[in-house]
Formats: sequence, structure tokens, C-alpha cells
Amino acid sequence: MLGFVALSLAAGAALAASPDLSGVWQLSGRLGAVKTTEGGAPPLSPAAQALYAAHRAAAAHGDYSYDGVTRCLPPGLPRLMLMHEPFEILQRDKVVYFLHQLNRLPRRVYLDEPLPTELDPHYLGYSVGHWDGTTLVIESTGFDDSTLLDNAGLPHSESLHLTERYQESPDGRHLRLRFTVEDPKTFTRPWSAQVEYTRRSDYRLPEEVCSDTPVAARPRD
Amino acid sequence: MGTRLNLSLVIAGLCLARNAVADPPAPPPTTLYNSGDPTLALTPGLRGATAAPKGAAPGNPDPHNLEGVWWLQGYQYLLGPEPGIAPPLKPEYLRILERRIRAKNRGTPEADASTQCLPHGMPRVMESPYPIEIVQTPGRITFLHEVAHNIRRIYLDQPHPQGVALSFLGDSVAHWEGDTLVVDTVGLNDRTFIDDEGSSHSTQEHVVERYTKIDHGEALELIMTVEDPVTLEHPYSYRRVFRWRPDVRPQEYVCEENNRNAPVNGVTVAK
Repeated sequence: MLGFVALSLAAGAALAASPDLSGVWQLSGRLGAVKTTEGGAPPLSPAAQALYAAHRAAAAHGDYSYDGVTRCLPPGLPRLMLMHEPFEILQRDKVVYFLHQLNRLPRRVYLDEPLPTELDPHYLGYSVGHWDGTTLVIESTGFDDSTLLDNAGLPHSESLHLTERYQESPDGRHLRLRFTVEDPKTFTRPWSAQVEYTRRSDYRLPEEVCSDTPVAARPRD
Repeated sequence: MGTRLNLSLVIAGLCLARNAVADPPAPPPTTLYNSGDPTLALTPGLRGATAAPKGAAPGNPDPHNLEGVWWLQGYQYLLGPEPGIAPPLKPEYLRILERRIRAKNRGTPEADASTQCLPHGMPRVMESPYPIEIVQTPGRITFLHEVAHNIRRIYLDQPHPQGVALSFLGDSVAHWEGDTLVVDTVGLNDRTFIDDEGSSHSTQEHVVERYTKIDHGEALELIMTVEDPVTLEHPYSYRRVFRWRPDVRPQEYVCEENNRNAPVNGVTVAK
């Protein structure tokens, strides 16, 4: 009986420990080139640095053809999480859904499952997650290498492995994401960065249709 | 005497029912109006989803819990009251449907929204050979369609907002009537067709869906009712069944990647 009570208390504590991230969130401010938590540029390998420089040079004269987002393709990760368009989280016991305003893109995070080892490449990869105390931890891989890591044209390879850690502020008004990028074909070492989102209570995501939006008006950051 | 008469009526009724089961149903018309005119040939329906494989999680018998992945059994290109029968379009809109079916049969179909990676509209988005995931959260039911990553946000127990902006999938609100979820949709733009063959609707289209779990949660019945005072002679309804498919995970669907048949001057040209 005592054991049962102790178990119930533990279960109750575990339930209370998982915050509800459901609701609409929006990146606080706008992001260009992502900076590491140390404040520097991500540690690109020489070949990747050349590709990044080519993207920057094209962008400097208004040529964004390297960026699939201008053709309504999904932006990949973590870039989708670094854009200014709001997104909605629907949190369920087995799946956490990220529903983005950007071209209505959905992202599913399957909880408490291992990351599959054999994956076909997808724009948004494949994501599994778990609760580490009050932090939602998401591991993703299986990425198509045509997407970009950030809004400034940072490249990656199909070896990208992304870890995201989401933590809500005590007052529930902000959500902090700290993410780690591992991609030995693109970077000389793993690196991390951090961004913050603001809760947008009472905001309803409109039906945003990229194919119905003039090219010049399509969000790129 | 009265009892015997009633009994014989019951027996006659049973015989009728037996005969109805024994006789195969008449195949749906393969041409518009069942006319035999090959230029009005209809695209044959698809079989659609079967039941989940053995060993899959059983359906949730809770009639108010629709959460999970559902997949349409059967798929029709013409969404009238019965397979192969056109919606009750007014004569001028029947002429337009004929024109679109003839264009399709010539190999130069008129561009509809989905060929341009635009959302499919209503009721057509519910007639998809791809799975639909339902997510149920407080005050909301969300339909996540694999096809073209369409999303429908359905708000529970509230009215449509005043002056709702027109959109491809409209504004949807819902309430429970017993064990049936009744979804009411307005605010639809007129850039989509009712169905794949090209039946027209206007911005005054009003769609009511009635969802009821059947077969102990292994299936979801939909009674779809379409009203449109501009294009239809009168409202009409049809029935569909979705299969419970817990073994299916919706996949990433990127229409924009393969959009090689974008329309030219309003006409789709295969490239």
C-alpha cells in the first residue's frame, strides 16, 4: 500500500514535470546568419565555406536561386525554426506536432521512440523526442542535403544530425530553443546556438499558400 | 389474422433483403449521364484503403475520440449523391462540367487548384487517396492531410467569425450531436472544384460534414452535405467510410517539388 502511494506520487510528479507547450509561438526578432552560443560563426570546413561564400555572393546581387524556399520547398531544419513566421505546437502523449504558418508545413515528433537507422532523405528529416525533466528534447536525422541550415545560406550534408532542446520560461510567455548541429562533412566540430520564441496567445494561423504568393513576397527569413 | 398478415409481410421483407444482398449492385455509370458518349467518359474510382493489417492496434471505441490516422475506402472522381452521378448542378454549370470532362478526355485538362499546388477546396480535400490524421485538443479538432500538407483547423462550440476571409479550405466550426461530430464550413473561395472531374462551386458554398465512428472504432462514417445556391439546384449528400489505420504514418508530401504541369493560360500542359 505504501509502495502504491509512493508510485502514485512519483507518477503525479512526472506528469506535473511535463509542461504543456501547446499554443502559438513566434521567433523573437528576426535572424540572418546564425551565431554559435560562443558568439562566433559556425565552424565550416573549407569546402563548405566555399559553398557558403557562393550563396552569400549570389544573395548580394539578389539571386536566391540556391534557396528552395523561393520555390516553395520546405526550408529544412533547423532553419524552419529560425524563421519569423509563427508556428503552433499541439502536444499529445505520443506525438508533438509543430504546425507552421509557412506554407502550412507540419512537423511530427514521435515521443519515446528510437531514431530509425535507415531513413530516406526528407526536407524536414525524421524526428523523435522525449522529456528530459521540463525540457523537450528532439533528435532528428534523415535530411535531404538541398536545404539550408539558416536564413543566410549555411549549407549542410545528408549526415546532419540535429538535437533540439525546448524549455518554456516559468511564466509561460517564452520558449527557448538550444540546438546542436552535428555534421562532420560540413563542420569541423559540433556546435550549438540558441534562440527564443514569444507566445502569441489568441493568434490563429491563417491559410498561407506559398504557390499563391508572388515570388518576391515569399518569406525567406 | 392480423398477426399472420404482419408475419408474412416480415417474411416478404426478409426475402427482399436477401434478394438485395444476392444481386450484385449495378455498376456505376462510366460516362456522364450514363450516355455512352466516350467524350464524356468518367475516370473510374479507386479501391482506396483496406483495413489495417493483422496485429495493428484496435480502434478506440470511444465515440468522441477521433484521434488517429484514417484512410478513405474507395475514391471517386465525381462527387455526386452516388458514384458516377453528377452533383445536382444547374444547367449552365452542367455545361461547364461537360466541357471539363471533354477537355480531360482530349488529354488537355483544365487546370484546377491542385495542379498548381494550391489546397484542394471542399468537399474535395476529404476525397483523397492519401491518409488523414486527426488531432484532438481542447476546443479544437485538426485534420492533417498527407496530400499537399493541407491543414483544417476546426473550432468546437463557437460560431463562424464575422466577415470571414475567403480561403481554399474555408472556416470550419463543429459541435457534437450525440456521438456525431457535425462540422460546418463556409468562407470558401471559388478557385477550387467540388470534385476531380470539375463540378463548380461558388463562394456561397456551405458544407456540412457529419462524422460518426462505426464498426467498434475500426471505421469512421462521413455524411457529406453540399449546398450552393449559385451552382446547385438543391443541396445533396453522399456517404463515405474511412478506415482506422494506426499502422500508417503520414509522409512528407511536397507538391511543389514536382509541379511540372503548371497551367499555361488556364490550361494544364503536361511537360
